[in-house]
Formats: sequence, structure tokens, C-alpha cells
Amino acid sequence: MPDPSFIFAQSLSGLTAAMYLFLIASGLSLIFGVLRVLNFAHGSFYMLGAYGAYQLVQWLGTGHGRFWWATLGAALGVAILGGLVERLLFRYLYGKEELYQLLFTYALVLILSDVAKIFWGTQQKSVSRPPGLTGSFSLFGTTVPYYNLFILLLSPAIALGFWFVLRRTRAGRFIRAAALDRETLGALGVNVDRLYLGVFMLGSFLGGLGGALVTPVKSIVPGMDTEMIVEAFIVVVIGGLGSFWGTFLGALIYGQVLSFGILFVPRFSIFSVFALMAAVLIIRPWGLLGKPLK
Amino acid sequence: MLRRVPWPLLVFAAALFVPALGSRFYTFVANDIVIWALFATSLNLLVGYTGLVSFGHAAYFGIGAYTTGILMKKAGLAFLLAFPAAGLVTATFALVFGFFCVRLTRIYFAMLTLAFAQIVWAICFKWNEVTGGEQGMPEIPYPDFDWVERVSGILPFLGGYRTSEYFYFVTVVLVAACFWILRRIVGSPFGRMLTTIRENPERAEFIGVNVRRYELAAFVLAGTFAGLAGGLFGIFNRGVFPDFAYWTKSAEVLIMTLLGGMGTFFGPGVGAVALILLNQQIVSYTEYWPLILGTILVVLLFAFPGGIAGTAQGFARWIGRRLGRA
Amino acid sequence: MTMRMVTMLLAGLLALPLAAEAQKPIKVGFPMILSGPGALFGAPALKGAEMYVEELNAKGGVLGRKIELVPRDTKGSADEAVRVSRELILKENVDFLVGTLTSAEGPAVSVVAKENKVVFIAPIPKTDQLTAKDKLHPYVFRTAANTTMEGRSAAEIVAKWPVTRIGTISPDYAYGQDVTRSFVEHLKKIKPSVQIVDQQWPKLGEADYTPFINAQMAKKPEAVFSSLWGGHFVTFVKQAKPLGYFDAIKYNMMAVAEAGSPESTKAMGADYPVGIWANTYDAFYWAETPAHRDYTARLAKFTKDEYPSSWAIQGYTGMQFLAEAIKKAGSTESDKVSRALLGLTIDTPAGKQTIREKDHQADRGQLYGKTVKDPKYPFPILKPVEYVDPTKFMD
Repeated sequence: MPDPSFIFAQSLSGLTAAMYLFLIASGLSLIFGVLRVLNFAHGSFYMLGAYGAYQLVQWLGTGHGRFWWATLGAALGVAILGGLVERLLFRYLYGKEELYQLLFTYALVLILSDVAKIFWGTQQKSVSRPPGLTGSFSLFGTTVPYYNLFILLLSPAIALGFWFVLRRTRAGRFIRAAALDRETLGALGVNVDRLYLGVFMLGSFLGGLGGALVTPVKSIVPGMDTEMIVEAFIVVVIGGLGSFWGTFLGALIYGQVLSFGILFVPRFSIFSVFALMAAVLIIRPWGLLGKPLK
Repeated sequence: MLRRVPWPLLVFAAALFVPALGSRFYTFVANDIVIWALFATSLNLLVGYTGLVSFGHAAYFGIGAYTTGILMKKAGLAFLLAFPAAGLVTATFALVFGFFCVRLTRIYFAMLTLAFAQIVWAICFKWNEVTGGEQGMPEIPYPDFDWVERVSGILPFLGGYRTSEYFYFVTVVLVAACFWILRRIVGSPFGRMLTTIRENPERAEFIGVNVRRYELAAFVLAGTFAGLAGGLFGIFNRGVFPDFAYWTKSAEVLIMTLLGGMGTFFGPGVGAVALILLNQQIVSYTEYWPLILGTILVVLLFAFPGGIAGTAQGFARWIGRRLGRA
Repeated sequence: MTMRMVTMLLAGLLALPLAAEAQKPIKVGFPMILSGPGALFGAPALKGAEMYVEELNAKGGVLGRKIELVPRDTKGSADEAVRVSRELILKENVDFLVGTLTSAEGPAVSVVAKENKVVFIAPIPKTDQLTAKDKLHPYVFRTAANTTMEGRSAAEIVAKWPVTRIGTISPDYAYGQDVTRSFVEHLKKIKPSVQIVDQQWPKLGEADYTPFINAQMAKKPEAVFSSLWGGHFVTFVKQAKPLGYFDAIKYNMMAVAEAGSPESTKAMGADYPVGIWANTYDAFYWAETPAHRDYTARLAKFTKDEYPSSWAIQGYTGMQFLAEAIKKAGSTESDKVSRALLGLTIDTPAGKQTIREKDHQADRGQLYGKTVKDPKYPFPILKPVEYVDPTKFMD
């Protein structure tokens, strides 16, 4: 029997991984919920968020508070890029077949990966943890880095903020309405164009934010886009495509499966998450907390 | 007048002629194209004819490649047995996976095919003892062509080629046979029913068709032919590797199908020709092939959603109307 | 007649320039990872090869002919590596192949080299399987270190440390497994008192190392051997450091897989776990010989990088071996060059190196040292940096 502090450490690491994944996957899920499009380029937005944060840190320096401005700037930059893509190209595919939309987002993956390579080359990049969050503290015999604690608090805070927006504001009501039945939305006098644009930008913002916030714990390398997109797909599928809390739950499950899976079946841990994804789709295609599409 | 020309036969004859050009490179490219054409056409049965968007078709390509590869390299089985085995094993997998997939619709269908494909990839990637793990299995033997030398006394036109060229002939003949079967399938009442299902599944259900069973049959057929293509490709590629089943391969074959023209029988084959020749030319100039491919894809989606074959058909019809009016 | 027309049509469609000049350049195909995670080694290795070719051509080339380098992106996948290598041989008509990076690409391209009878020099893949007895053929050569040499070199150093409880953490694929096995076996042989208390095998490209780090710390090793490379090592360190991992093992880590390369320390800057031991193929601050100092200066100019890459030397030396073999053979015929490479000794920027006759393996050692901060540079360096000669334990 492994000692309790070890089990605590493992579940905590799973939890931290889950919070990152939630940040990133929630943007994917939001876009799917409203636009009914699985955005393969979400991983590319995540990658650009990371490179953007790196670039801004290079320009701004590493002084106090600089990391946060860089993070915010990178996420906003990605949101603007997302907005441009939606406005200039993507909107023309809304009426078309799903395959065209899927392949368009895949085309973006191809293009953006090379764009990143042109700008930042192929060398690995790294961003230091922001000053003030470099240390760690001890909890039940486990070392917990302050930065991890910050992520553990930030992600749920963002989740709650979203939940509040979705429940309590006009825009939120429209988003929920769009997720349920978008045909009647226009009839209700909603500016659907602007709603779609807003949702796409918000989703991209979350992807970029996730990418920027992950830089202190992960190296920035080419190929991080396609790695992440598959993980984000698994999370949203498990939780339920388009379901907000579903994504949260999906991320939690994914984190724990990976964290403990490597202890028991290390060689087949990647296998186990795909099997989990398939199992959910077979038993409950709309995910654990999602609703069947009409 | 143009319609009277037996185009498929002409292409088949021309394909057989490629090694006689004397360039090993032409044979190499032609071999690549022929196999990918079969792979893309098998996907078209699913996407173009039945309207099921699979994002995990590479799984069956990979299973076929590993089946033939393992049987020929590790078990020393003859190609004559290992090749049909690829189809058989793939069909079994497609039946099991497809059983679950066809119960889902649209995006969920795509996601489940992707999940199954990633499972296949993960197994190929990690099961070192059987699949060689991430290193794959290099050095899959060519089929045995010694018999050709023996019969070339009686049939002299057969002799004098390299092993890779004999394998190319075998590929062309086998792929042509597969194309013939596929053509029969889509032209049959079964094939027409698939199109009906694509156009209007509710209506098909209403007139008493078991839509799921038809879809499953299409899924298994598509998987089987992808598996046969994979079986050939493993030998052609001189090794089988886990990337054969990775999701980006599935995207690649989808792009090929779209580029050629979905829903037209020979479209995906045209797509294979176009994409592979284009790739050959462009990589000589730049390492930014993904950027160029992505751009082509965007242009295709917005300007020519019918792909090459679809656009050509539309153009031919337009010309026809013009001539008719004049 | 129809046949002829079809022939001409097809030939026209695939038309290729068939230049047949008397003094055409010697073409060398260079299949290398130029995109994706492996590109951080592949791209600078190509730079090194390009510099060598440029310098050689400026001096008139070899056998009076210039060398033309034809690079192709393998995208880090073995099947793509096979495809581009065959394309290089069949379409570009390259005379030789120098390249590949991963332990999947190397052996896969080796098969192509064998079937086409083209000399293939692997400057980076380390897996022992590339030149293992049953896989060896006349046309494959390696100028990289192999996993046996690297694992044993590391063991020689760790054996001198006052520790007995050893842990390992390595990516779960051919390279990681092979190098770790070599390290463990050799260490047990030269220091029987050691105990391997823990072995972690994260998958190649793992994003979250925390579970592995926790599991390893729970076993309380006194020293750890790591073979995580490139961005993976960076990610590992970023996650291990705040967990107190390096304090727990008192910085007794031997990080192979070039974790001590200037690229790695530069990327991590202040985050580097200064105090660990690590290795690298090259270091611009390693001023061992005038030849090396000169090479570094040229490379810095060629790549416009004040602290030039340590991977360039692998591309450079690979090309150098090939050119010297062509010179020695007096021919570009595969069989003659292949024979010329056997037992060939050349002066590389890192000193004399020889390709052994028995296994086509160069006696390429690596630089090892303890990482320290140096006020002269904005990132840690290895000091003192020592070239570990592998000739004693290559078999």
C-alpha cells in the first residue's frame, strides 16, 4: 500500500493537469456549443498563445508583473487572430457540410504551424515562473509549487466567472439559446453574426490564455499544437461536447486517469485515455454531462 | 464522343507501361499514387457515397499494413496469403469498430472513428513485441518473384525487370481489380441505396431500409479496401510504422479525396495523382509544404468544393450547354 | 505508334531536367527533421552540413567536383524518412545519404540504403540496433555516439560519486531503453555496490512529468540518471524543480541526451538546475584545440549566432567523413567509398575520429561536465568540461 502522502501528491498533480486542460478545452467546447464546429485549430491557438507570451516576455523583460501583461497580451492577440479568421473566412462555411468546416480548421493547423516556425524557428523556448510564484510550500508531506496553486485557483475562478456570465447576463442567455436551438435565435432579434464572432474570439482567447499560462511549466516547441488538440478533444468528448461543466468534469477525469494510470499500466496509459473516449462515445455519445444534439 | 473512350482501361494500360519508360523514379511515384488512389477511393465509399465523415480511416490502412507486414516478415508467409489476410483482418476490425460507429451520427461518428483510430495507433506505438513499437518494422520482404525468371523463357516479355518493378505490376493489377469491384459496388442497387441514405436517411428508413445495416456494410467495405491498400503500402514503403494509423494520416487521405472530388468515382484517384505530384515538385523548393498544402486546402474549400473532378464535370456541363445553345 | 505517343506524353508530364554535364556536382541527400519537436536538433545539424559544404566548395570541392546538399524534411516520422530518402535517390539522383535523427528513422533509412546500394552516414541516431550485427550492411555508417557508448560513459562518471541508491528516468522508446540499459549494466559491473532503486518510463513526448517525479521521489534515490532530451528535458526540469526534486537528490543527476548543450541551458536560462552533470556533443566555450576554436568562430559567423549551436558539429562531421572518404577512394562509386570509410581516421573539429571497421561505428565521444553559472555567459555552462573517450568500452 503506497503511503497516503504519495497518493495525495499524485491526485494533486492530476488535478493541476486537469485545470490546465480545462482552461484550454473550455474554449473548444464553447465554440462547439454555439457554432457546432470542432475546431482543430484550437491547438494552434494554444501554441500561438505560448509563443506570444514568450515573445512578449522577451520584449517586456521579466520584472514584476511583466509575465501577467505578457500572458494577457498573448491571449488577446490570439483572440484577435481568431476574430479575423472567423470574420474573413470561417463564417462563409456555416451553411456548408461539417466536413468542409473540419477540413478548414485543419488547414489552419497546417498553416499556423509553419507560420510559427517562420517566426520563432525550431529551437525550444522557455519562460520562467513569474516572480512571487517561484517557491513552493508543504501540504500533507507534499511539496506544492505556488504556481500550481495559482492555476488550481485560477481555473475554477474562470469557470465560475463563465458560469455567472452564461446564467446571469443577456449575452449569456443568447449563447445558451444558440447552443440549444440556433434556428429560432435570429427570429428573437439576436444579432447572430456578432454573437458568433464574440464566441469565436472568446474561445480563441481561452486557448491562447491556456498556452500562455502553461509556459512556466512546459517548454515551447514546434508540434505542441497537434499534441494538445487530441487531449482537448478527449476532454470535451468525455464531458460532453458543448457542455461547460462537462468539460470541467472531463478534465478532472482525464487528469486522474493519467496520473494514476501511469502507476499501474505505464505502457498503456495513452491507450487507456483513448479507450475511455471511445467508451464514453459508445455508451453516452453526448458525454457525461452533455445533452443529445437535436 | 469522348464518352465512348474506355478511359479506365486506357489508364490501366498506361499505368502498366510506366516501368518501360526506364525511370525508376516514375515507377516509384506511380506506385505511390496507385496505392493512395485505392486508399482514397475506399474512403470515398464512406464519405462521398454514404455521407459518413470518418476521421479515422487511417486505422484500417494501418491494420492492413501491419497484418501483411507481420505475416510476411515474422511468419514468413507468402504474399499470396498475406495480402488477402490484410483484407480479412481489417474487415473484422472494421466490423467491430463500425458496429459502434454507425450507431452515432455526424460529429459523434467522426469523433468515435478518430478514437478507434487512435487506439489502433497507440497499440502499434507501444506493443513492442508484436509491432516493433515506435520504431515500426523496417525491411518487409518483397513478394517472391523468382518464378517470373522461370517462366520468362516461355513469356520473354515478363523478364528483365527489377523486383520493385514486378511489385509495381502486381500493385497495378490488384488495385485495378479492387477498383473494378468498387465500381460494381457503387453501381449496384446496394450502392444506389447508399446514395439514397446519404441524401435522405429518414426517407430511406421510412421505405423500410435498415439504414444502420447498410452503413455498417459500407463501413466494412471501405475498411477492407483501405486495409488492402495498407497491405500493399507496407511492402512498397519497405517497412510499416505506427504513423500509418495516426490521425494526421486520416486527415491527409480526406484532403486527397476532397481535392479529387468527393462522390465522383474516379475523383479520389485524381486527387491522389494531383497531391502526390504536387508534393514531389514543391518539396524540392521549400520545406514549407504544410503551409502550401493548407493554403491549397483553403482555396479548394472556398472556390472549388467539388474538387478537381467535380469542377471538371461542371465545366464540361457548362461547355455542353453552350454548345447545345449554339 | 500509340505506345510511343503515350510514352512521350507520360515523359512530358513528369518532365525532369536531365542535365548531363561532365563536371556535375556530387549530390548528397540530407533527410533530416526540419519541423516538429525534433527540428531543434535537425535544423542546426543541417546548418553545420551546409557550412562544411560551402567551405569545401570554396576550396574547389572534392575530386575537382563541387558538393551539392539536397535537404528534405522527414517530419520526425520513419515512413516519411523512407519516402524522402527514396525520392532523393530516385528523383534527385543523389550519390550519398547523410542524415536522419531518431532511432526509428535511422534503421528505416538504412534498409533503403542497403537496397539501393547507397552509402548512408547517420550523424545523430544513437540506437545500437542501427549497426547491430544482424542489421549491418556495407553501406551504413554512424558518426554519432551510440547508446552503449553514451550509457557507459555516464556510468564511468557516476561510479565515482559517493552514492549507491540510483534511480533512472528515461523516455519509453528505443533510445531511452537502450541507453538506460547500457548505463545500468555498466555501472553494476564497475561498481557492484550500487542498487537501482527506481526506474521511471514516461512516454516519449510526455506533457506532465509530475506523477513520475512524485513516484521517483517516494523511492528516495541518492542519484538519478536521465535520458530525457530537448524540450522534454526542459519540461521535466520546469516541473521537477519547484517540487524540490533536485534538492532531494542533492543535484546528483547525470543528464545525458545532450541535456548540457548550450541550446538547452540557453533555453532554460535561470531555470536550469545548476549543479547537475550533463553531456553535449559540442560547446562553443570548449577551447580545447586551435582547430576547434577556429571552427567555433566560423560557425558563429556562418549562423550569425554569438553562441553557436552544439548540433551543427554532427552535420559537419558527417559530411566531413563522407568527403574525406570520397577523396581517399578517388571515386564516387558506392562500393569504393564504402570501403574507404572502413577504418578511416579524420581530424574533426573535436579531434581525431575513426570509423571502426568491425561495426562501422565512429569512436565519437561526448563532452561531460558539471553545470555551473559563469559570469561570462547569461546561461550555465559545463565546467570543467571533459571529453570522455569511449574507445575503452565500445565493445
